[in-house]
Amino acid sequence: MLSKVTSFALTGLDGVPVEAETDINNGIPSYELVGLPDAAVKESRERVRSALKNSGRKFPLQKITVNLAPADVRKEGSVFDLAIAVGILKATEQLAADCTGIVFLGELALDGALRSVTGILPLLISAKAAGFRKFILPAGNASEASYIEGIEVYAAKSLREVVDHLSGLAPLAPVPVGKYVSGGGACKFDLAYVKGQATAKRALEVAVSGGHNILLIGPPGTGKTMLARCIPAIMPDMTFEEALEVTKIHSVAGILGSGGIVDQRPFRTPHHTATTVSMCGGGTRALKPGEISLAHHGVLFLDELPEYHRSTLEALRQPLEDGVITVTRSGGAVTFPANFMLCASMNPCPCGNYGSADKVCTCTPAAIRKYRSRLSGPLLDRIDIQVEVDSVKYDDLASDCLEEKSEVVKKRVERAREIQRERFTDTRTNADMGERELKAFCALSKECENILRMSFESLKLSARARSRIIKVARTIADMEGAEQIRPEHILEAVSYRRYDNMG
Amino acid sequence: MGYTKEEKAMIWLDSFPLDYAKKAALLRAAKDPYLLAERAEALLPHEEGAAGKVFEKMLSSLDSADYMKGLLASYEKKEIVCVTCFSEHYPEALRNIPDPPLVLYCRGNVRLLSERKFAIVGSRKTDADILARTEEISRGLSRCFAIVTGIAEGGDTAAVRGALESGKIISVLAYGLDHVYPAVNRDLLKKIAKNGLLVSEYIPSRKSEPYLFPARNRIIAGLSEGVLVVSGGEKSGTRITARLAYEYGRDVFAFPYGIGSRTGAGCNRLIKEYAKLTEELVDITSAFGINLTEKEEIELTENEKKALSAIGETPTHISAIAEKAGLSVSSVQVCLTMLEMKKAVVSCGGNRYAAIRRP
Repeated sequence: MLSKVTSFALTGLDGVPVEAETDINNGIPSYELVGLPDAAVKESRERVRSALKNSGRKFPLQKITVNLAPADVRKEGSVFDLAIAVGILKATEQLAADCTGIVFLGELALDGALRSVTGILPLLISAKAAGFRKFILPAGNASEASYIEGIEVYAAKSLREVVDHLSGLAPLAPVPVGKYVSGGGACKFDLAYVKGQATAKRALEVAVSGGHNILLIGPPGTGKTMLARCIPAIMPDMTFEEALEVTKIHSVAGILGSGGIVDQRPFRTPHHTATTVSMCGGGTRALKPGEISLAHHGVLFLDELPEYHRSTLEALRQPLEDGVITVTRSGGAVTFPANFMLCASMNPCPCGNYGSADKVCTCTPAAIRKYRSRLSGPLLDRIDIQVEVDSVKYDDLASDCLEEKSEVVKKRVERAREIQRERFTDTRTNADMGERELKAFCALSKECENILRMSFESLKLSARARSRIIKVARTIADMEGAEQIRPEHILEAVSYRRYDNMG
Repeated sequence: MGYTKEEKAMIWLDSFPLDYAKKAALLRAAKDPYLLAERAEALLPHEEGAAGKVFEKMLSSLDSADYMKGLLASYEKKEIVCVTCFSEHYPEALRNIPDPPLVLYCRGNVRLLSERKFAIVGSRKTDADILARTEEISRGLSRCFAIVTGIAEGGDTAAVRGALESGKIISVLAYGLDHVYPAVNRDLLKKIAKNGLLVSEYIPSRKSEPYLFPARNRIIAGLSEGVLVVSGGEKSGTRITARLAYEYGRDVFAFPYGIGSRTGAGCNRLIKEYAKLTEELVDITSAFGINLTEKEEIELTENEKKALSAIGETPTHISAIAEKAGLSVSSVQVCLTMLEMKKAVVSCGGNRYAAIRRP
């Protein structure tokens, strides 16, 4: 007899419906699995066999053919186990219930228990869009699945529970819809613990307010990393849509925590030995999202920027501009979102002491230039704010005077973002402005133009910096609630081009 | 460009790879330079080894007229003007040093050689605030002197930048004019050739070698009426220039530094020995009896004045400036950027600023 059971396969961040067709024929007992399965899918035979046996069902000693249709889409992972097991049960008439319209997802353990799988959220979203409404999936994925409204999700702990549910013996209750609560405040790093560094803190606030990328330049041990870790705490809370997008990516990557949904802005810190593939996404079998996609709607922190491979850094240029990355391999192309804020840090010179008040820099100008030339102009061009972090004196560290809390800063950031939301009528920020928006929203007065021209002449800025400076000035004006960009906004923005005119 | 007989003889002589002493000896033996060619057979001794081979080449070059023609044509193509010690433009001051260069290969405005000249030299490791001061002084001095310096990064480059605007800049190189060193100053070299003057003692193809730099320094010292040393440690090459200038009877000036400064210990030593302590332009001009009505006033806003006066003697941290001026850090940042543009302060790295002009 023939049976058909629906499951879903993941390609990139999208799901494709997969029909598990099972046919049982008389003949020498065998098990044939077709439809471009990878090793993990092929191995399902042993899992399904044991799971059926240990759930009190029979694995037929007949010729079994399982076809995962469409046959030309590569199937990966263990997500089809449940669908295959249910298909065999139906084909052998051990289960009579009607399974049409139900999507089965889940991996089987040998004892018949259901194990959670990666990528549930994107699968459900695609399936919902394709018109599916009923889902049976592992209990371990329940919280992740609960955030999608308008579908019925049944979470089962074992194959036995699934069978009992389908046959109506012990129906499961649908998983209640989860309510999204942003957990943005839970960041354990707070600006209040960073002593001094007034300029750097101000620059951080500007950067977050306008979604600008930032480069922290300073000697070792001055708190660059500490400052960077505070960024998520001053970023606005994620909306549900943003959280869902992030969760999708993290789900595919298999790094989702037990919470089910990512409710805090991600903060990713890949080490400088990271390869281009790990940064941008890719992989030999399934195309996995890279660090820049995992940092979507959050912060990508690159500590010691010049130490990264040049090719890795150059690969960031296009996603920094577009907010997405398309990873292309011979097996196909996948587009991952990658709209992140880049925060990078570096030393001012090879010995690290350039500009230090009490330590002597031993580097020659040529050595400093060589060190800095590791960063290409086009990459630096995409970093709107470059700010110096200076060494902290012991007295400052030990002082009891209270610094501003992240919460307070966050409130101001949110206000600035609100102005931008009204301006662009979507989630774009000042940093995303193109030439047209620049013209429309950043008209400069004569005085501002003059100051800008003067700064280019006297501070030897590169011409490419112009639109960057205007964008940052726009953000500073927004932070003040000013309609027009004023000279002092331009001047402050100019002061954030430290790298350009250093040394 | 027409050269006299003597000049041509000098250019011919200098085009061969003989060391300075040998060339000088030949000149002395020939009595008059144009006799060199005529009496070459008698003058050039038969020697074994490298020198002998050069002598043979010199003799064979005399047989054909093409050698000299080709040489002059190639210099003209490279826009090089040769000023020999028998030329009219050759600076008198330089002639009086013990070992005057035989030929100066020049590119640019040769007339600068006849103007009053003053040298500014500094080491490669020079603090940001000193660089800004150097540029400022160089700019001021270039109103009455042609500024003579090298082309190294740091102090020399700052002096070049200051004087470049007026075009009164003479950069003395320690290598032939075909080359570019340091590579980062390629653009600057072009600008000097266009507006000022590049000078080298060496034929255009000569590559730079470490030992050529002290020899070059004697030209810087010899050309100038005085030398200002803006920076330099105990072992800096700037001390060679200063010592030579002192020996040639030139005035030596130096910026003072704090006790224990690594970048300025050499300057302090110079001041102890013979240099004149120099803090501003007038310290130099008064020594030459020049009265420069200087310092165009800069207009400052109230806040800028506050910020400027809050900066101490040494580079001051921005938060200290903000505290002293009673302003917020972000508004001080704005003031400082403006002041930087008005060239009243300079950023020394690490969010520290130094005042180079007081209201």
